[in-house]
Amino acid sequence: MDDRDVLEDLAERLEAGMSRADVLTRGAVAGASIYGLSALFGAGTAFAGMEARPLTPTFYQWIYGLYPDIPGKLNKEYAKRTRLDAKIAPVQGFGIDRFVAEAKKKKSTWDVYVGMTPFVEMGALIESGTIEPWDKYISKSVLNDLIPSIRAEATYKGNIWSFPFLLDIIIQAWNGELVKKAGLNPNKAPKTWDEFIANAKKVVSSKAAPYGAVFDAHGWRSLAPIAHTFSTNVYTPEGLFDFTSDAAVNALEIMKRLMEVAPKNILEEGKVDGGVNTTPDEEAFAARQAAYYIKYQNAPTRFAGTWPDPSVLHIAGLPKKPGGAGGTVFWNTGAALFKYGQNKRQAADYMRFLTYDVRIWQHALGKDVRGASGQLSPYKSHWAKWEKSPPPWMADWAFTVRKELATSKAIRTHKFGLTQFVLGKPAWEAYLKGDEKNARKALAKAKALVQAEVKKSRKP
Amino acid sequence: MASRAATVRPPSSFHTIWRSTTRFARTWPYLIPALVFFVGWQLWPIIRALWISFTNFSFLLDDSPESAKWIGFENYVNALQDPLVRDGLLNAAIFTAIFLPGMVFLPMVTAVLVDRVRNQKLATTYRLILLIPAMIPGPLIFILWVWMYSNGIGPINYVLVDVLGVYDLANQPTWLGSTNTTFVSLALMEWWWGLGFHTMFYLAGLSTIPKELYESARVDGASEWRIFWKITFARLRPILLVLVVLRFGTAYALIDEYILTGGFDRSKPTYTWTVYMWDTAFQVGDQNRGYAAAIGWIGTVGMLAVVLWLFYAFRNRD
Repeated sequence: MDDRDVLEDLAERLEAGMSRADVLTRGAVAGASIYGLSALFGAGTAFAGMEARPLTPTFYQWIYGLYPDIPGKLNKEYAKRTRLDAKIAPVQGFGIDRFVAEAKKKKSTWDVYVGMTPFVEMGALIESGTIEPWDKYISKSVLNDLIPSIRAEATYKGNIWSFPFLLDIIIQAWNGELVKKAGLNPNKAPKTWDEFIANAKKVVSSKAAPYGAVFDAHGWRSLAPIAHTFSTNVYTPEGLFDFTSDAAVNALEIMKRLMEVAPKNILEEGKVDGGVNTTPDEEAFAARQAAYYIKYQNAPTRFAGTWPDPSVLHIAGLPKKPGGAGGTVFWNTGAALFKYGQNKRQAADYMRFLTYDVRIWQHALGKDVRGASGQLSPYKSHWAKWEKSPPPWMADWAFTVRKELATSKAIRTHKFGLTQFVLGKPAWEAYLKGDEKNARKALAKAKALVQAEVKKSRKP
Repeated sequence: MASRAATVRPPSSFHTIWRSTTRFARTWPYLIPALVFFVGWQLWPIIRALWISFTNFSFLLDDSPESAKWIGFENYVNALQDPLVRDGLLNAAIFTAIFLPGMVFLPMVTAVLVDRVRNQKLATTYRLILLIPAMIPGPLIFILWVWMYSNGIGPINYVLVDVLGVYDLANQPTWLGSTNTTFVSLALMEWWWGLGFHTMFYLAGLSTIPKELYESARVDGASEWRIFWKITFARLRPILLVLVVLRFGTAYALIDEYILTGGFDRSKPTYTWTVYMWDTAFQVGDQNRGYAAAIGWIGTVGMLAVVLWLFYAFRNRD
């Protein structure tokens, strides 16, 4: 955060009784430094260092794994400005128990949790009174710099509950070597679902690879994103995915067609994190047994890094349905502010420091896919700068994928945001396996399964 | 007589109390650590879970189980009518029925065979090889077997599809994904993992059987089969009971392997009562731990009943 932002921030806080000019005048009269100003008005404990403990963020471990610069460089640099005690979060498979249990005792060991995905656990953290909105601490300049769809995802009932950071988005990727072997143009992305499936079939029929395409069978990684290519209006008024919408039915029919060119075990659960990760699609794409892939960008970049020539990986937005919304699903893994934590203003400053640091994005969007997570920056200013003058380190596909955000949507925040797809999966899979002939009926059953569980909730 | 009566006076109440107090002070402090452990570590969580099962305690909504509403047997009534609980109990029973015989009898046969090896070096080598799987940590075992069963890169399907040509890519078995093969595949993994460890139990038991018994039986003309049943098996019954009871408990209440292979997919046979309990308590909706505790108690009571029956079935008939 530069000095101008601190002043802006102070002015926002004192909006009711004091103007921006007053703040500046007082500061000048007092002859105070920017840190002195913060202390003078009681706003910037972050800068004045008046809190009892150092700023204590806690990270979901995979973030440290994907971005070794955070513990290795960035935290050390930030610690020169103010005391910092960063930790690894005691969460496993999205478990938030420890955070909730502490909040019940009106305390928190940490100040900020970096690793919250809005549609996954934000609803539960809000409902249990574990976190508080960022609104009072996040500066307007940061808020206004957020890409609108990302800002919308972070907002729940009018407040900003997540400080956006690492963006995953469902895209299509393909192994150029296999596609070329099948006699197709490796530099051309299939534009429509029909084209995508036809290409995948050609890969199989030409024996270029055993499988034409793979996808992750979890609903939030396939059913919902494919539905968004038809329409992003697929949510009920209470915020649940509308399984019986036309878009959802169309998406399931596309998945059924994809099954013809996918491995037999594609619907199996993953091997870690309660079945969520290390799924069969990953195995097939990594082993170069499948040419086309639908998943978040981090998956293909990670696996291409193990290929003899990672440069054969191509990434583009999801195929479209002519006349459809042309969207996809994204989610931003951001930071949650603990209600009973300390150093709240400082936490916002720290998140701003992390998220604006270009080294993060250089690592994420680098040309060399080995180690590149592919996650996108949430800031308009970054993209404007990069579009104006494309950095030499940036992968070609980054801009293509970023453009998808204009038409895409996140899955809505709800207590059942993630679990609705786990609860409904057996019903729609009956259609994919051929046990149910009608896609709409299968999805109606999925909806009923979710509704039954929602009804059991004391606060639906 | 009168003077004697006067000398053998009953101890005064003060003396009695004093002696009791000093004896108490000398002995009971030594029991405190064990008592604290037993009450705090074992009894209290059991009582607490039982108590929670009679409330509507939801982790996300209630501050503590104490602030939740007491609802009597409502959770139990609902759970007994819940198809997920009933199917979960049944699926756990099916897996146990597949798993238990192999887990108990394979090591017994192996132990009898290893016990007959007369060359000491060879016998030690066998024992070491058998123990290797037991030394491998659980997560590594899971990774190893999930890889073995993998469709894309697993050696089992590689042999079946690419080497023997028994199957092709389209109809190759999905060992952990198919309803029919999941339990057998898991049981096979568990047998491999527990074989050496359980064999050691039986070898220890075999070493206590006097060799004279075998010699006498052979002199009397008993067949090897009869010797096995009448001497070996009969003498190994206490060890058999221990293994059956222990492994019944671990099989019926299995959870890690189920979550690993089937996740939280409610249509899979691996979604047993233990997975449902965990899912309800820690993942779904309000995290209704009162209901989850009731599911847990229903499963536990069922297990206790079976264990009691096992003790009866394996009772000493001498």
